[in-house]
Amino acid sequence: MGEPLVSLTGLTKWFEIGGGMFRRPLHVRAVDDVSLVIQRGETLALVGESGSGKTTLGRTILRLLEPTDGEIQFAGKIVTHLKDKDLKWLRRKAQMIPQDPYSSLNPTYPVNKALEEPLVIHGLGNRQERWERILTALDSVHLTPPEFFAHKYPHMLSGGQRQRVVVARAMILDPEFIVADEPVSMLDASVKVSILRILKEIQENLGVGFLHITHDLATAHHFAERIGIMYAGKLVEMGPHESLLTEPLHPYTQALIEAIPDPDPENRFRERPALPGEPPSLVNPPAGCRFHPRCPIAREGLCDVEEPLLRELRPGHFVACHLAE
Amino acid sequence: MAILELEHLNFHYRTLRGAVRAVDDISFEVEKGHTLAIVGESGCGKTSTAAAILRLLPKNVARYDGIVRLDGKNVMELSDEEFRKTVRWQGISMVFQGAMNALNPTARVGKQVAEPLQIHFDAEKEEAMARASESLRSVGLPEYVERSYPHELSGGMKQRVVIAMALILRPGLVILDEPTSALDVMTQTNIINLLKRLKKEEELSYIFITHDLALASELADEVGIMYAGQIREIGPSEYVYPSPKHPYTKALLKSVPILRSSESPISIPGVPPDLIESPFACRFHPRCSVSFEECGWSAQEFADILERLRASGEDGGVRWGEAEVEDDLTLVLKPEDGMDPVTYRKALEEAFHEQEESTRAFKAVTKVEVRDGGVAVTLHEATTPYMIGEAHRAACLLLRKGGEKDG
Repeated sequence: MGEPLVSLTGLTKWFEIGGGMFRRPLHVRAVDDVSLVIQRGETLALVGESGSGKTTLGRTILRLLEPTDGEIQFAGKIVTHLKDKDLKWLRRKAQMIPQDPYSSLNPTYPVNKALEEPLVIHGLGNRQERWERILTALDSVHLTPPEFFAHKYPHMLSGGQRQRVVVARAMILDPEFIVADEPVSMLDASVKVSILRILKEIQENLGVGFLHITHDLATAHHFAERIGIMYAGKLVEMGPHESLLTEPLHPYTQALIEAIPDPDPENRFRERPALPGEPPSLVNPPAGCRFHPRCPIAREGLCDVEEPLLRELRPGHFVACHLAE
Repeated sequence: MAILELEHLNFHYRTLRGAVRAVDDISFEVEKGHTLAIVGESGCGKTSTAAAILRLLPKNVARYDGIVRLDGKNVMELSDEEFRKTVRWQGISMVFQGAMNALNPTARVGKQVAEPLQIHFDAEKEEAMARASESLRSVGLPEYVERSYPHELSGGMKQRVVIAMALILRPGLVILDEPTSALDVMTQTNIINLLKRLKKEEELSYIFITHDLALASELADEVGIMYAGQIREIGPSEYVYPSPKHPYTKALLKSVPILRSSESPISIPGVPPDLIESPFACRFHPRCSVSFEECGWSAQEFADILERLRASGEDGGVRWGEAEVEDDLTLVLKPEDGMDPVTYRKALEEAFHEQEESTRAFKAVTKVEVRDGGVAVTLHEATTPYMIGEAHRAACLLLRKGGEKDG
């Protein structure tokens, strides 16, 4: 720990929509000016509602999307605009775990073939070595005995087992960084935690850095060291998970925490405070702070005019709010 | 007074592999003005229970019987036509999972909400539209929504439209099937607040189907925990949440990551079972951490466990030989490399005893004896668990009178 693995500076990704011969295109500002650092061997959870830009950010870091502006540094190298040929290095070092284990495995490939493919593409090992790496990867996700699972087809596996295969596939190239995009949101409660534990083991034992994208703050709390909160394409707060949850500084984070129930039979006797309105359009976001139209403490003449920048208010705990102290 | 009572409701589907026992002998009551939350993992039969109550049957139904009493009257005796006219939507309505994405994109919302009234209940157009707009108002939607198309509305608003549809005939009971599962946290909170308000103001009763124990506690006066087509525990929320009785409920509560606690969640080993070939006796026994000899181990299951242990090299020094299943409770193990059956028997017996905490099936071994050059293993007979308790009851053999067995 302590060594930066991924550093983003002002990373921005806009998507062009509409436009034609005589019409100017519009831009969806999915990710706007995000700066953050992920250390080696740590998990940063990125939490936000749908449309907050968290998935776009993850895909842009992996260079699955071309950044519009800003800089991405990976293991000390600037990869912002690497060309395809040079990207192969990044493709090996950085992996992705997608959300849906039912659509991310080729149904016609047995597990061993799905795991072997990345090795073949990167020209790693001979047949015997590849086979051994496959077994090691299956073992690391607790699909034991690995020989038994290596010859299964996806339809023979449960949702949880499939997701383990997906994790094993991400691990097979010994990556240093993994973007996990809602890796357990499709799974049942009883199996969810086992997958999250495996990711934690990989992080701790192998020193892999994780960006865990999720909408579930409770999961982030238990399985990440730091949490970043995104709202309308902006990183609005980021800090150690304990301090972010016990002392949230941004009114949006505060509202988000308030909105999440814990299992408690007393819940039914009271209404839960909830923010009015909906997240704004990313084509034409509000001026100033993007949260100000829904913010209970917004100050006129300040919040609707001036954009707040991330400030470090507590050690390692950043917030983008004019009024937070 | 109970608005709904189910007694021994069964609803099975026919498939090529055999009957899917999606709803297997379910009994419960919903009190007027109360909410019963039915909680379970995917494929446990929650939605099928709703379908069975509303008699929404597929073509491949294999078995459908039991008693469904609405306001004291057994509606299972009604003909399909009578049921449709008097029960469905007027007595019991439903908010289907993902229904907000099934709104007709080409029709204005007001018209869609009013339409069923005109088609099924011969209402005049003006009257139907008036009731639609009243219903839309009651779920907190502004007037312009009536004239909007679904794509012009946000997810939360569409979900309100779907709730308005369920309320239009003023039913006493509404079944909510994962009513917020596709929505963001903040929108979810708004919808749950609305449901709380409607419950209080209109004296509505709900059956709230969800996989989320935390969310269930937002509405539930009573909670029913479903596993493999059966209700395994049911009772007032005040009892079930703080002191669950069934090992599955306990494990499920521990598996939920809780925001305001630093206690780490613990997963449940294994996967939820198949509803076609469910485990014998207690269906949870293969995943249960406190199961014992009576819980339902079969010789086949035992043989599979040995096979798995052998394949993963966790046989603790004993080489489990090939297992041959003789009958439901007996299997014969053959020693490898011409080992003496007497020595083999002794090794097996010791291994079963030593490992019975980690491999609970070993608790079911009652006899290990030399037979035909091999060793016959006989298992304990199983007892099917039944509901124990009054207001708060659960189906687990550990709850039998005389206290706990084996810890």
